[in-house]
Amino acid sequence: MAVISALPPLAMQAGANRVVQGVKIEHVCGDPSLPSDADKALRRRLVEQALRALGRDVEAPTLVDIA
Amino acid sequence: MLRVSHYLNQFFAGLGAEQAANRPPETREGFVGPGRVLQALLRDQGQVVSTMVCGDSFFAERTDEARRAVRAWLEAVRPGLVVAGPAFAAGRYGMACAEVCRIADELKIPAVTGMHRENPGLLAYRKAYVIPAADSAVGMQPALSAMVTLGLKLVSGAPIGPAETEGYLPRGVRRPGMRGRPGAERAVEMLVAKLSGRPFRTEMPVDAYEAVPPAPPVTDLRRARIALVTTGAIVPRGNPDHLKRCSETRWARYSIVGVQALTPDDYECVHGGFYNEMASHNPNLVVPLDVMRDLQREGVIGELLDTYYVTTGNDQRLADCRRNGREIAADLRSANVNGVLLVAT
Repeated sequence: MAVISALPPLAMQAGANRVVQGVKIEHVCGDPSLPSDADKALRRRLVEQALRALGRDVEAPTLVDIA
Repeated sequence: MLRVSHYLNQFFAGLGAEQAANRPPETREGFVGPGRVLQALLRDQGQVVSTMVCGDSFFAERTDEARRAVRAWLEAVRPGLVVAGPAFAAGRYGMACAEVCRIADELKIPAVTGMHRENPGLLAYRKAYVIPAADSAVGMQPALSAMVTLGLKLVSGAPIGPAETEGYLPRGVRRPGMRGRPGAERAVEMLVAKLSGRPFRTEMPVDAYEAVPPAPPVTDLRRARIALVTTGAIVPRGNPDHLKRCSETRWARYSIVGVQALTPDDYECVHGGFYNEMASHNPNLVVPLDVMRDLQREGVIGELLDTYYVTTGNDQRLADCRRNGREIAADLRSANVNGVLLVAT
């Protein structure tokens, strides 16, 4: 499992092992202030990052930061 | 004379350990095994008239059948008090004891059990009166002794005080009452005690998190079945299951068969812990289905599970979080899911 969270330290404290930095609490996967294409592109980057995090071998809660 | 019924597993009844764990429920007259200690503690205040013995695996795997047997047993014996276990740290036994207490409650018969604080049975029926027990049978005598004391008090109909004074484990019940001094004074006093290194007692204990062993990595996304889970309270418009804005105890799952993106016409966000207008306007900000469908079409992922899972991660008790997580994980496993994206708001 990979967790996309606006507050990675909290997710990691709660025991989530693969954590990806989301945008904001109100819009974790995207940014509604952007034009909708750019918002969706941002969402895609986040989801791709979370999918890559799924492939990472981790031993403890880790903020997975792979572009 | 108070009639007492006692529930035991196969091990404590002397029928054997795991090899006897599939034994179906059976009843015996009088006491069995540790029932002897129970009878000694009751002295002339009660008599163990009947004992039910059931294998732990039987109870765990054929729970409905076991429950029916317990109910029939209690209806036939009509005891004035039910004593279950104690189960110490044994998980399946603890679950069974909790179920026995639940059925006794339904039949309005006072019931008491004993478990180690970390026995998962504690979560099976929160309203049970559970005496804290050691993690092994060396704690039989003190556990049964406290169970008898509390059990007799329950039978007497005397008001039962809070967990810390009566000695049972907290049941998650709050009753309004008056304290001698206002909260602000008590809080400042606690803070001063903490800053000066003196002991103090919190009125709001916080549950501790536990370490979770990481799942092995997903090696080939193109063959993986991925599922979406969120604590962000995205629900079909109209909130058909009445998911709560906060303090939710449950989870829900919704089909996304044929849905290409979550539109505000069909979905909304009911989370009460943040400004949810943006998520209601574009629910993909929390459940990124639009992007997942693209990735699925492009073959980046093998498959997307046709159901998403949701709860409201807002002021949810840790015990409920754990149970929800366990239940959702079991569901995902039975759907052969290889990887999960969880969006936490």
